[in-house]
Amino acid sequence: MIDKALAFVRERTGIGEGEARTIAGGPSFAYVFGWVLVFLLVLEATTGAALAAFYSPSSTDAWASVAYVQDQAALGWLVRGLHHHGGSAMAIVAGLHLLQTGLYGAYKKPRELTWWLGVILMALLLAWAVTGYVLRWDQAGYWANRVEVGIAAGTPVIGQQIRAVAIGGNDYGNLTLTRFYALHIVVLPVLITFLIGVHIWLARRHGTTPTVARETAPAEPRWPGQSLRTALAMAATFAALAAYTANQHGADLAAPADPSAAYDARPLWYFRWLFELRVLAGSWEKIAALAAPAVVAGFLIGMPILDRSPSRAPSTRKPILGAFIGLLALIAGLTVVSLTSDANDVELGKRLATLEDRGDKARALAVANGVPSSGGLDVFTTPPMYRARALFEQRCKGCHDAASKDRKGPIIAPGHGNRAWLGGFLAAPSGDAYWGHTKLAKTDAAMKPVELGPGEQADLVELLYSETGAADAKTDARDRGKVTFDKACTDCHSMEEGTPGTSAPNLFGLGSREHYFSFVGNPKSHLHMGPDSSEMPRFDKELTLAERDEIAGYLVWLRTATAADVTALGPL
Amino acid sequence: MVDEPDRRGFLKLATCAVGGGVGLVVLAPVIRLVLDPAGKTTVTTPTDPIDLGNLDLIPVGGDPRKVNIVAPLVKDAWTAARDVVLGAAWLRRTSPDKIEALSAVCPHLGCAIGWDLTQQNFICPCHDSRFSAAGDPLSGPSKRGMDPLPIAVKDGRLQLVWKQFKADTAAREEA
Repeated sequence: MIDKALAFVRERTGIGEGEARTIAGGPSFAYVFGWVLVFLLVLEATTGAALAAFYSPSSTDAWASVAYVQDQAALGWLVRGLHHHGGSAMAIVAGLHLLQTGLYGAYKKPRELTWWLGVILMALLLAWAVTGYVLRWDQAGYWANRVEVGIAAGTPVIGQQIRAVAIGGNDYGNLTLTRFYALHIVVLPVLITFLIGVHIWLARRHGTTPTVARETAPAEPRWPGQSLRTALAMAATFAALAAYTANQHGADLAAPADPSAAYDARPLWYFRWLFELRVLAGSWEKIAALAAPAVVAGFLIGMPILDRSPSRAPSTRKPILGAFIGLLALIAGLTVVSLTSDANDVELGKRLATLEDRGDKARALAVANGVPSSGGLDVFTTPPMYRARALFEQRCKGCHDAASKDRKGPIIAPGHGNRAWLGGFLAAPSGDAYWGHTKLAKTDAAMKPVELGPGEQADLVELLYSETGAADAKTDARDRGKVTFDKACTDCHSMEEGTPGTSAPNLFGLGSREHYFSFVGNPKSHLHMGPDSSEMPRFDKELTLAERDEIAGYLVWLRTATAADVTALGPL
Repeated sequence: MVDEPDRRGFLKLATCAVGGGVGLVVLAPVIRLVLDPAGKTTVTTPTDPIDLGNLDLIPVGGDPRKVNIVAPLVKDAWTAARDVVLGAAWLRRTSPDKIEALSAVCPHLGCAIGWDLTQQNFICPCHDSRFSAAGDPLSGPSKRGMDPLPIAVKDGRLQLVWKQFKADTAAREEA
């Protein structure tokens, strides 16, 4: 059936006509790496196309769209993981391909062009990874890119121009992403695919390079002996890749890029050898980072020129093979040293754990609340009443939290300003939870407990409660309370809008958003505590109007909240 | 070295099976991911009433007023955006206590309907559907009148529920 299908295509297109292609010395697993790379290229293209259908290359949206794929789109984590780790697989298989062809002497005449193209493709693969890593716009990708571009900017004479062209102007932003995105999904794929086409065309022209021992063995048809080995190698590669991806639950994603936050920037693992070399080079780091890749590329390109004898027997190529293997071993060794020294660094481990927590938190918030259109970093501000709670934490807690050792004012907690709170206050204004910790409580100016009949007391509470604007205030009790107020309280207080009390706060709108807004702005106002009776500082100069309003809104919310409600808001 | 036909046949089949299998396993999650948004509410607009401002802004009688409908929060895939304009409504206050809202989305093919000051009726600029001040169809291709939107007054403020309807049907169905 397969033969029939192939014949159908052959008759109509000419593909597969002529002599069946053979393989010198017979099929071998040594020859699978090139086609496994083609398979990985197709895998990257397929998963990349799906990811491009979700990705948004803008500095405000990039991280959010990646987090959406990772945590919310069905199988997004798998596709993204295959794409990310597929890049790593390409680097590994390309390394093996280089090693195999180098060892077999496949760089020799007439295959020099194939070899040189391979070296160029290797460099382009690494560039492909660099341009992809920044797109996630998380701390890891952002800082790795800053370091990489920083190294490139160290190029003599044209360094700053390289940087400006790469990041699209003077600083990181939207143009950085659109440029790297264009390179990653258009320029490099087209270029690499074209060069791979030429590389394969040349490889087919010259055929595989057998070992010296098998050189005399008869040639065998490629199909199906070599084809099956290639298919099995692809399947094994994919199985390993899929297993690793599933085990890691896709690829990592750190917190959104934050130019203000310290981050232990590390390059992708295939640049670790350069990273380690840079550390070893000390003050020569920039030169090492720029020169080392040039030395490696120069040696690889020079191999066919340095070793021109027609013999491919390893015994006749000891110096060049020694240098070749030594160079690859050095790169592998530096990579291992870099990774293990990081793994053994306890302090780094702690910092990385903190950073990972921050990333997890950002992603959980993105799932729960979405990411503000102002940018990925603002996801941290999306917990309910975040700004007000953060301000309260910083500016109010010291004097107003029940747990504070330095409390100087009344406790502000859930239920603040509700009927029970007002009733408790009237019964004991200088009670511990109320004004007990203030200087005012220790003076004669302190308010005396209100001692009325229970009915009158309750009516007074209702009057004060209704000032908050609460919808459940009872109007009849409030009206009775007003009569009591006029009789018992107006010696000191006022309830007329804008009229200061004789010696105590005006209670108009007490506990409403407007009241809190005004009180927090200037507690020493004649309408509030007055200049001599309050230790609380003015906040009208320190907080913006919006911040003060948020605090006021939070205080209003606290009136009807319970401790469980506060817990339900989640951590800041 | 010549293989027997059976063995070669098996190897060919195995090659195609392994290759095809890997291809399918790669394609399956990719297709699932790309189709994911098709089954989801990716853009979430508020179903609660949206505040349109003070009732006093709309005079009794006279020409209808066009008011933008601004959602306090719209979730669009990964973004949570504030103050997003969803569309517009034409408001008509026929008596101090009676207010009506008509969606400015044309029921024909969704263009934005305007008010024709000279003819004192609504006109859609795309295909010239005309509607009376009350939203009834007068002429043109629209198969139904303008779509009314639920509106109420709460504490002196206009509260409107934003809805979208299927285009170009005689019966009014929510989209």
